[in-house]
Amino acid sequence: MMHAPADILKFHDVTIVPDSESGLGLSKLNSTLAAGDLALVLLAPEQARIPLADAAEGLVKPEQGTGTFLGEDWQTMTVDRVMRQRGRIGRVFEGESWLSDLYVDKNITLAQRHHTRRDKKEIEAEAIELCHVFGLPELPRGWPSSLQGQDLQKAACVRAFLGAPVLLLLENPTRGVYADLIAPLMKTVNDARRRGAAVLWTTNEPGVWNQPELRATVRYRMRGSPMQVMEAAERAA
Amino acid sequence: MRMIGGLGEVVWGQWEEVRHATAVIGTALSLCVRPRYWVRTVRRAFAHHVVAIGVESVGFVCGVAVFVGIAVVVQLTFWVGEAGQSQMLGPLLLTVVARELGPVLINLVVIVRCGSAMATELGIMKIGGRVRVLEAQGIAPFIYLVVPRVLGAAVSTFCLTIVFILVAFGSGYLFGVMLGKGSSDWLLFANSVFNAVQPKDALNVVAKSILPALFAGASCCIGGLGVSGSVLAIPQATQRALVRSVTGLFVICAVVSLLTYL
Repeated sequence: MMHAPADILKFHDVTIVPDSESGLGLSKLNSTLAAGDLALVLLAPEQARIPLADAAEGLVKPEQGTGTFLGEDWQTMTVDRVMRQRGRIGRVFEGESWLSDLYVDKNITLAQRHHTRRDKKEIEAEAIELCHVFGLPELPRGWPSSLQGQDLQKAACVRAFLGAPVLLLLENPTRGVYADLIAPLMKTVNDARRRGAAVLWTTNEPGVWNQPELRATVRYRMRGSPMQVMEAAERAA
Repeated sequence: MRMIGGLGEVVWGQWEEVRHATAVIGTALSLCVRPRYWVRTVRRAFAHHVVAIGVESVGFVCGVAVFVGIAVVVQLTFWVGEAGQSQMLGPLLLTVVARELGPVLINLVVIVRCGSAMATELGIMKIGGRVRVLEAQGIAPFIYLVVPRVLGAAVSTFCLTIVFILVAFGSGYLFGVMLGKGSSDWLLFANSVFNAVQPKDALNVVAKSILPALFAGASCCIGGLGVSGSVLAIPQATQRALVRSVTGLFVICAVVSLLTYL
């Protein structure tokens, strides 16, 4: 029996006050991502760290509007529920995202080891498979500081896709590794969409935004402060 | 009038910090009895902190205990012998080494050795956005960062206190024998100590080793995770956390002594 695709992520009139660090907020954002959807968001080159992914995970409280994940408003969930639901989201972070007291492999598998009872070997086997997809010869086992930036970015993709997340938040995932990563990333994103995941991909690179093979459900150009959708293009169903 | 106002402000500020630390300790203790929070990553973090705080400090604590044993136990053995009050040796040893010196010294060692590291590490994580990364992955910082550190500090301090007391007594006895002071019969020595032990002494050692460690762990976590702005705020936060921890240690020890023995 086929189920109608459920809304995985929904922003309804979400307004987020600019934070003191990045100075960027969001203004009256409306968007819905169902299973299999991909939203590509093109940002201005200087606007890397926008609170879109944070809003999608309920990490920032909207001044107005609601952000829902699988039909539940982040603000009305209990803390335990919030944490469990965030465990179903994979994310490539903009900026530093590695715990310096854990090896890279432990960093990669941390969320899976925390949220699931899957066998450690099974998690590692999946991680190794993803490493091969993203061009890493093996699961990196050194300290995060010992890895090159490009390898860390590939490892970040492995971490995001590990455990078949329901929602993928990709913040500039090809930063510095566009040539190496774009092909495997597009393939993995399309595979994830086929199994029912929704993807929110922000980028500063027009090359990514114009990729026809990505077949994005919706494309946004966001500009301004607080950021607004300046242009939206939806792919015909 | 302004001075009284200033004093009131200081007292109120301290009271708020104590309330905050107490809330953290209470929450950590209430969560730690629920098995569902002891997922493997938290168990691993707890084990890591027990090793870092407890096991890695054993050598240093034993070294301190040997010197304390030599200084205190030899002195006591000598003066008790001089005063012809050999029967007082056990109670006096217990009072000085086990009830007071052991828990206070070990808590100080843990605060200096690990408390500053704890506050600094958490401050760097907070400033560097790693705490947010944990939250984004659905890992509650309180469960993953605070609970293992607070409980690890308490368990480690208690175990180190026991090690300290045993090593201090042992070294004191051996040194006393080497100098020809006191009885060379170790059974007699052990008997005089154990005979002096009362249930309230055990309670006292447990309370004085665990409560200040819980407070110090909570204070250092609050200090580290409370940092905001730039990395320059970390040393100040660490310093405040250490001062709070040391003050808490002496206040708690005094209160426990009063409640136990008065």
